[in-house]
Amino acid sequence: MGELPPANASHPVNSAIGLETLQVDSACSVDQVGEGWMVSCVTLSGPQSWSRALAPLLLLTGCQTASAPEPTPDPKAELIAKGRRLFFEETFSGNGRTCGTCHPAANNLTLDPAFIARLPPTDPLFVAEFTPALAKNFENPRLMREFALIQENLDGFADLENRFVMRGVPHVLAQPTSIASPAGPRTGWSGDGAPGDGSLRSFAVGAVIQHFTKTLARVPGVDFRLPTEAELDAMEAFQLSLGRQNELKLPLPLKGTVARRGQALFLDNKKGKCNFCHENAGANANFGGGSIGNANFNTGVENLPDLPARLTGEKVPRDDGFRQPGDGTFNTPPLVEAADTPPFFHNNAVATIEAAVGFYDGDTFNNSPAGKLLAGATGGPLELDATQIQAIASFLRVLNALENMRSSLVALELAASGRVDEKRRNDELALAQADTHDAAKVLEGASLHPQAVAHLKGAGRAIHRAQRGWYSRAQRLQGALDLLKKARAELVEGA
Amino acid sequence: MIRSMYLAAILVVLAASGSHAHGQEATERFIPIGQSPGQSGKTTLIGSIQSVDAQGRQLTISTAAGASKISVTERTKIWIDRSASKQTNSLGGVADLQAGRRVEVKWDAKDKSRAEWIKVEAAP
Repeated sequence: MGELPPANASHPVNSAIGLETLQVDSACSVDQVGEGWMVSCVTLSGPQSWSRALAPLLLLTGCQTASAPEPTPDPKAELIAKGRRLFFEETFSGNGRTCGTCHPAANNLTLDPAFIARLPPTDPLFVAEFTPALAKNFENPRLMREFALIQENLDGFADLENRFVMRGVPHVLAQPTSIASPAGPRTGWSGDGAPGDGSLRSFAVGAVIQHFTKTLARVPGVDFRLPTEAELDAMEAFQLSLGRQNELKLPLPLKGTVARRGQALFLDNKKGKCNFCHENAGANANFGGGSIGNANFNTGVENLPDLPARLTGEKVPRDDGFRQPGDGTFNTPPLVEAADTPPFFHNNAVATIEAAVGFYDGDTFNNSPAGKLLAGATGGPLELDATQIQAIASFLRVLNALENMRSSLVALELAASGRVDEKRRNDELALAQADTHDAAKVLEGASLHPQAVAHLKGAGRAIHRAQRGWYSRAQRLQGALDLLKKARAELVEGA
Repeated sequence: MIRSMYLAAILVVLAASGSHAHGQEATERFIPIGQSPGQSGKTTLIGSIQSVDAQGRQLTISTAAGASKISVTERTKIWIDRSASKQTNSLGGVADLQAGRRVEVKWDAKDKSRAEWIKVEAAP
């Protein structure tokens, strides 16, 4: 089994899911003193010590602290903040869309039909429904609303009526771990999402041209403006700051029986075989000779029968993947963040993580180039029974919940730190609320860890109350932090 | 067994993805001369066409650093940059490569003597 970090010690690998933040609470106590709070810590070591986490919290509630350091300018943080503003607010003089239109913070930076259904009809996502110049050959409103599919012209814009593909919106979390390959950066579903040098930094230029334009003429300076070099730098920095920054190191000491079995199957190179292409449940491949980074494979998803979008009778041309013309390959996404970012695969083929795992047990995968490669190297096709599919999916749900809890804890600590303005604090509380909700949802979706779900729902209520006003905010944030840690302790040993 | 799989996978991956970063051609076409992110001035030549050898399918590009020759192959994409007149960029052909016109040439990562794409300023 993998090792948990010792008490009061940093663990750089598993800090990806924040296990190091579990170690500190027993060393500290928080007591009400007048209108403020007094924190007492026996030991103040470790990367997330309460001394740093709660000193600003005391300021929030009016308690005087003599040792609170003055915040110092942080150029990287400022660049990320600038990138955040550009990502969510800048329209680049186009049709009103921002990067956040398709990558909304409120929905794990991706789109699904349920989220889309809650948007007002005037949302710029629906620009094709109310802008005559974009009414044809820009989006398919039916496929957008029913399956969260976006129209792309990856094989060129010469024949808009017939040459396009319909793709889902990948989340943009954990990109420091998921786009590097020896052959260069791999962005987007087929790894060739960016013009210019093909980098994440250049991605926004292609996105503006494809999705932000006022008309199908796509004239820079008329239909949109292209991002400046400084803007590209900032947006890249922001995107790289999102979510998990490090790979996990599996196996984890999971408590849940089914998830633990799922992890074993995931790592079993003769049975689940998942770890070959998703090493440590990430986006990088390792076939025994060390990581080869992020890679493209033809797993046959385009050949699935009864693809939902095609069942509608709407025109859905075959997606040929990487390059122009394509070679049929698509990029490998990270799995840690998968369970709460459905639908799955480049064409939103299936809606649940169980169905996504089940895909690899089917004829379509086993007859694909990637499936045949795997079968040839491991002595046979990939065969899983229902209980095994359920176990692997449960494992991925637990990983996702742990990552959500890590993210929520970081957001809560930042909100409580006093280092951010009111808008940012509210944003962080909203993120903590959303991630806590998602953690509960992905566990509850497979009846996993009901006690953890109860703690998470309690944490969610505490965050909600902290969002509503300053009164007792510190106490409520503390309560939320405690409940999140209790929830995590239900999932992993030693937490 | 695993070793053979490793080797086979490497071959598949390299065959599928090439040995260099791959910029998307579809949207590259709309980017004006000199504004290709991460590429303009780094992996491209920006200058004007000094001469055209139509038979040899070779251009001589005059840049601030001097003259450079580059081959136009069957696979070279040629786009006409009409952004100065506020019009959409369009597909072009070898006939659009005329002496005196401003161009940006992206060289092929595997062979710098060949052009991967050429953006040529629209005729006045």
